[in-house]
Amino acid sequence: MAWIALTLIAFALGVVLQTRVRSPLANPTLIATLIVAGVLLVGGVSHADYLDRVRPLTALLAPAIVALAVPLYRLRALLSRQWRSLVIGGLSGTLVGVGTDVFFSRMLNLSDQAQRSLLTAPATSPVALQLAQFTGAPSALAATLAVLSGLVGALILPGFLTLLGVKHPLARGLAIGAVAHGVGTARAREEGELTGAASSIGMGLAALLVTLVVAGVSRG
Amino acid sequence: MLGLGVLVGFAAGGQALVTVSGLPLPGSVVGLALLWAALGLKIVRLHWIADAADGLLGILGLLFVPATVGFIGYLSAGAAWGLWLLVMTAGLLLGGGVAGVLASRLARPEQRGPEV
Repeated sequence: MAWIALTLIAFALGVVLQTRVRSPLANPTLIATLIVAGVLLVGGVSHADYLDRVRPLTALLAPAIVALAVPLYRLRALLSRQWRSLVIGGLSGTLVGVGTDVFFSRMLNLSDQAQRSLLTAPATSPVALQLAQFTGAPSALAATLAVLSGLVGALILPGFLTLLGVKHPLARGLAIGAVAHGVGTARAREEGELTGAASSIGMGLAALLVTLVVAGVSRG
Repeated sequence: MLGLGVLVGFAAGGQALVTVSGLPLPGSVVGLALLWAALGLKIVRLHWIADAADGLLGILGLLFVPATVGFIGYLSAGAAWGLWLLVMTAGLLLGGGVAGVLASRLARPEQRGPEV
């Protein structure tokens, strides 16, 4: 129970900090991760032991992923009105993101574990975590790199899209959601309701697409 | 509680389908697709699950903290983290750029007027 309490308190601290500091870096997952990691390192507790103690939290992950269907369903009107833009744009972006990760990690000759983990970085972290069993990636690394992808994307994508001349709120939101999922969607919401909605759709489609890519790769 | 039950049920259903079919898919993502279809076909009503779904999605960032804490096993990778971030950033810029440019070309004008 103590470890569950620590994780909850660390996350709550992160939520409080997020409301005070308006930066994607003030992210509750990142802050909770750093606090818990610090306690484990200082206390000399292994990650496996910690995982064992917080199993009730992890058990909620599967129904939470299923719950992602709800925002997708709520946005069905937007999705059917703009399906060409959202589906073609989102899927192409996610596919290019995955392809770029694979290409550069081969070119730079990254470790096998890193290559496998980067493959799922454009998918939302809980899905990247679930996919690790099929990609053969260490699940901790796959989840961490996916979280970092969201953070870095939230920091750099809004400015980069402006640089490219992408002004349409729908396109901006979709682009951020397609590769920077959860944290990116929170950032996209700051630009407006339509941007946030498009980002949610981008994130949902990315989760489905990356899952299918992984399924294809692990079959072949 | 009904809502949580439905969500857990779809997660279990997705997992069962994956186990039976032998497809290399996570059961929860299959459950997501099944629930989306069930909502569209009005087999499941949104108000049954809305509260439970919003509650779970509100703490989604908490639920994978146990996994991300595992990065402490990769501290010894040291400078390699810089390369990993570099590759990831390239993926973000190219993927996000393609999505943004394509989507703005293909977008139909919104009837509701511009949003800020």
